[in-house]
Amino acid sequence: MSLMSLGIVRGFVWQIAGTIIGIVFAVAMRLMMGMSPWATEPVWVVAILFGSMGFLIGVGSMTDWFKWMVGIDTPMRHGPPKGKPAWTRYFGVDYNHKVIGIQYTITAIFMLAVGGAFAIIFRTELARSGLQFLNPGQYNTFIGMHGWAAIFAIFIGIGGMANYLVPLMIGAEDMAFPRLNAFAFWINIPAIVWLLASLYHGWDAGWTLYPLLSTRGEPGFQFVFLSVFLLGFSSILGSLNLIATMLMMRPKGMSLFRMPIFCWGVMGASIIQLTATQFIAQSFLMLSFERTLGMPFFNPDGGGSPLLFQHLFWFYSHPAVYVWVLPGLGVISEILPVFARKPLFGYRWIALSSIAIALVGFLVWGHHMFTSGYANSLRAPFMLATLLVAVPTGVKFFSWLGTLWGGKLTFPTPMLFALGAISVFLLGGLSGPPLALVGSDLFLHDSYFVIGHFHATIFGGFVFPFLAALYFWYPKVTGRMYNETLGKLHFWIMTPAFWMMSVGQMSVGVMGMRRRIADYDPMLGGMTSSGLSAVEIGQTVVTISAFLIAFSILLMIYNLLNSAEVGALAGNNPWRSRSPEWQIPSPAPEHSYATPIRVVGEPYDYGLPGSTYVTMATAGDD
Amino acid sequence: MSSATTTAEAYRTQLRMNRMGLWLFFVSEVFLFGGLLATRFYLWGNTRPELDQSIGLIVTSVLLLSSLSMNLSEKGLEHNNRRLFLGGLVFTFVFGLVFLVGVMVFEWGLFPAFYEGHLTPGENVYGAVVFAMTGMHALHVITGLAFIAIVWNLGRKGSYSPERHWGVESCAIYWHFVDVVWIFFYPALYLIGHVAH
Amino acid sequence: MRQSSTDKRHFITVSVLVLIGTAVMFWLLDSALPMPIQASIQAQTVDQVFQWTLIAIAFLFSLVVVFMLYTVIVFRRRRGDTGEGEHFEGNTALEIIWTVVPLLLVVLFGYIGVTTLTDITKAQENEVVVQVEGFQWSWLFTYPTDSGEFTSTELVLPVDQPARMEMSSRDVNHSFWIVEMRVKQDVLPGQTTVLRFTPTIEGDYKLRCAELCGLSHWNMLASVRIVSPEEYDAWLAQQSSQAAAITTASN
Ligand code: HEA
Ligand code: HEA
Ligand code: CUA
Ligand SMILES: [Cu+2]
Repeated sequence: MSLMSLGIVRGFVWQIAGTIIGIVFAVAMRLMMGMSPWATEPVWVVAILFGSMGFLIGVGSMTDWFKWMVGIDTPMRHGPPKGKPAWTRYFGVDYNHKVIGIQYTITAIFMLAVGGAFAIIFRTELARSGLQFLNPGQYNTFIGMHGWAAIFAIFIGIGGMANYLVPLMIGAEDMAFPRLNAFAFWINIPAIVWLLASLYHGWDAGWTLYPLLSTRGEPGFQFVFLSVFLLGFSSILGSLNLIATMLMMRPKGMSLFRMPIFCWGVMGASIIQLTATQFIAQSFLMLSFERTLGMPFFNPDGGGSPLLFQHLFWFYSHPAVYVWVLPGLGVISEILPVFARKPLFGYRWIALSSIAIALVGFLVWGHHMFTSGYANSLRAPFMLATLLVAVPTGVKFFSWLGTLWGGKLTFPTPMLFALGAISVFLLGGLSGPPLALVGSDLFLHDSYFVIGHFHATIFGGFVFPFLAALYFWYPKVTGRMYNETLGKLHFWIMTPAFWMMSVGQMSVGVMGMRRRIADYDPMLGGMTSSGLSAVEIGQTVVTISAFLIAFSILLMIYNLLNSAEVGALAGNNPWRSRSPEWQIPSPAPEHSYATPIRVVGEPYDYGLPGSTYVTMATAGDD
Repeated sequence: MSSATTTAEAYRTQLRMNRMGLWLFFVSEVFLFGGLLATRFYLWGNTRPELDQSIGLIVTSVLLLSSLSMNLSEKGLEHNNRRLFLGGLVFTFVFGLVFLVGVMVFEWGLFPAFYEGHLTPGENVYGAVVFAMTGMHALHVITGLAFIAIVWNLGRKGSYSPERHWGVESCAIYWHFVDVVWIFFYPALYLIGHVAH
Repeated sequence: MRQSSTDKRHFITVSVLVLIGTAVMFWLLDSALPMPIQASIQAQTVDQVFQWTLIAIAFLFSLVVVFMLYTVIVFRRRRGDTGEGEHFEGNTALEIIWTVVPLLLVVLFGYIGVTTLTDITKAQENEVVVQVEGFQWSWLFTYPTDSGEFTSTELVLPVDQPARMEMSSRDVNHSFWIVEMRVKQDVLPGQTTVLRFTPTIEGDYKLRCAELCGLSHWNMLASVRIVSPEEYDAWLAQQSSQAAAITTASN
């Protein structure tokens, strides 16, 4: 088997070729227009576009479409590749949603490690005041890289969970548009390549990339703009596919209110991704054009407005934070009933609260801009709308308590992570209102309090549930059990460490520690008798916690890799779940359901004797 | 896309799904163009640049005509009138091309030797926004033209039947959508506000 | 024998635990979040708002976490038990309660938020006006006086007199923040933004740029001195005569 038969290798080769062609093309164009042949930035912009296109063609994600264009039919579904080892299908274009789901998930874990590694590096720098081993330019690049790499991990991780689980949960054979699904996944790979490549030139405006800082300085910015643009493209196509799948492909008897609750979380998230993502794609394109063509959208010298960018950016990026959490909260709602052996309390309320959060989330973007200088009269409505999101979020929390109350709880690793997620997300969510109140936000804005707030919401709403999901569906994916002892160890290291990290960040924030600074005033918060100042103690605690978290995640990676070979066989339904995906063999077969399923009951009727959720029609049965 | 082996039932299911997908795509696109409109109103408020009104009127009318010919073409296919079908596509393509050339040559001044444009993208917000809006729209027109060319070619080879022609249908809806966007862009660029530049 | 989950005794125990939890949580939060000194009138208002939210946070946090831990301990599966949990699917009255009560809380906090906002941003009489200019990576303060104006690289303000900063930037976004005064405001190119505060304690402070503005953002500082009115007048007089001297010299 030659290396070039792996789609991803072909993709990279084509990406390099495309990049080179792009450079040549751009230089030729410049010469033709009578300009000097080389200008780093414009040439790279063209090269990035050509290179990305090259990857998508080379990997084979558009081959079927090209065939359709000239009238060649292709089979609707492809099975596993013939004459190649089974693992190769994970490294090339494959239309099976389970394969794509796993591809997404592995990529997400990789990006989490990349983002985490940046955090580990700059956290080490921050453990003490003074500049140790990073210079401020590197530091600024690293925090932006940390932010975007981690956010990539979130979007891709959500793609992983949604792609693997949604079709299984609604009993569909695959997604509505399998080719589009594969295409949406593969866009992420060139996006990641360009993001990592941006390190070479560097860029120093943080993940928010506010102009006018981002419209001057290093060419590294262009890599980030276009990389995020590609990621956004993937989000839009992926969410379109998910919504169509959930609306059109449910089996007989599964009304929307009988879908497994995770699907509602994905629905809320997808609505946001489908629509709001256009705004970030557009705002980053505008930045790119402002840099290359000098179009002054944001530069006041040409009549533009730096505030416009903030509006466009946050109109997407605030709703986006709910994209990050809604599927995760869905995972929590999915796991609790299984391990409490009780129905999900208030199914409809939980389902609708996801949609409510998604919709109200569109009205609150201004809370990131309380100090930005827009009209004072706008501050109050944004404040009130922001506080309003607490209401549907609260409904989820209280309904979870209702689910646990009176159950017969057991605590394997996924359940521990679900409960941990609740406590962590609660901390993050409750640190939202002090930020939402303009008065206290004028103090807390751009301080580490905000950093503490959003790490807690992100970990509680995405990272913990994502880990819970990894453990929970691991037996379905691999057919084997992970190591329970290591799993519990992971939990018991990570949760206290995360608590220390997040509260530590809030603590130094209140002392006056600003965001995005490589070095800080050691006198913040005053001296203590230990010879360290209060802020340094706080920073050291955060750094130590960061190392503990990283260690525990490495433990998990080891556990998951190792158990795939030595773990005990899991059987079809080790958790005794009612959800359809557990009624079929593990690992799930190529075409999931041998025959169409039919829904005959409520999804979470645990403890109701004789009730079933789905029946598998047998042949001849109508 | 259809394969000869798929049953009528499977085709109908697939068709319903495809329609859903296309409309979801439009929902997304509405936000893209909405964002551009928002940018226009944020930056220009109640003003606008001096654009060539006759060019604007001409290209807009041509684009509307193209929607008409596209509609005729689709009707042609449904009634198995292949001449109308293919001819309609050709007309639509030509109208689309005229629109594109009108915008690029006259509004953008792409060939200054032939016609001087009124604005350049870099001079100020007026130029920037005009180029952003017309540029994004032109990108859609270009993809639409490519789409039409592909459909025409496949239609010529007889790939579509009155019963099965999702390719034609999606192409037509897409083209109408691009037209509708222009119906919003035209007044925003040419009519609303007083001339300030 | 297990009690039924709707037994009153459960709820009495949990309520007591929640109250204890609230107190403990408030104490923990209060000590984990040490506020710097309050050196302005606005700082007092801001800290007041923050304290109120801390109380609410402490209560809501222990409400959820205590309930959760209680279920973890009381409703865990006993060894050898293979049965299912109790069967109930929801309770509309409860759902409405826990929608409406937080809604009321939100309205209350919204009210607090709006009143404090108008409080800390309202214009006052006899404000000291300083033109602030931010640029990569320092600050420049321009004081108007009877004999023209002069600039300074340190910010000097009289104690107990409202101050108004009129700010703009020469290049990219910056943000004006003195921790002890609490309030902050971005400084933008092409636009003037305003920040008001009334210093109440004499002493030396630091103005720090709070918006990432490039390489030396971390080091974009200026010293701030809050002085008695007499000292302020003396400083003004001295600075303006110096400025006048320089202008005449350069003429
Ligand atoms: C996963 C992501 C996520 C989530 C879910 C949230 C949720 C919330 N966020 Fe957060 N936020 C971020 C990620 C997230 N945020 C990020 C990344 C930033 C910084 C971006 C940057 O600048 O880099 C940020 C910044 C940010 C700011 C701007 C801070 C600043 O820069 O000055 C504000 C201000 O209002 C805010 C508020 C809120 C609120 C009110 C919620 C609410 O949705 C929380 C609702 C939940 C609860 C309140 C808890 C449960 C509810 C109950 C128990 C019911 C009863 C409660 C009450 C009545 C209060 N967030
Ligand atoms: C998903 C989102 C996410 C995640 C998971 C994290 C995780 C972490 N974050 Fe991050 N953070 C952000 C999103 C995230 N962050 C964002 C958006 C910003 C704002 C950026 C900006 O201001 O522009 C930010 C900013 C930010 C700051 C502020 C920087 C500044 O303003 O100066 C700090 C400081 O403490 C910090 C710390 C950490 C730490 C210690 C972790 C730890 O939890 C990390 C733990 C480690 C891992 C998760 C990886 C584990 C594995 C390995 C390290 C091994 C690798 C090896 C293999 C290949 C197997 N983050
Ligand atoms: Cu100026 Cu940061
Ligand atoms: Cu937000």
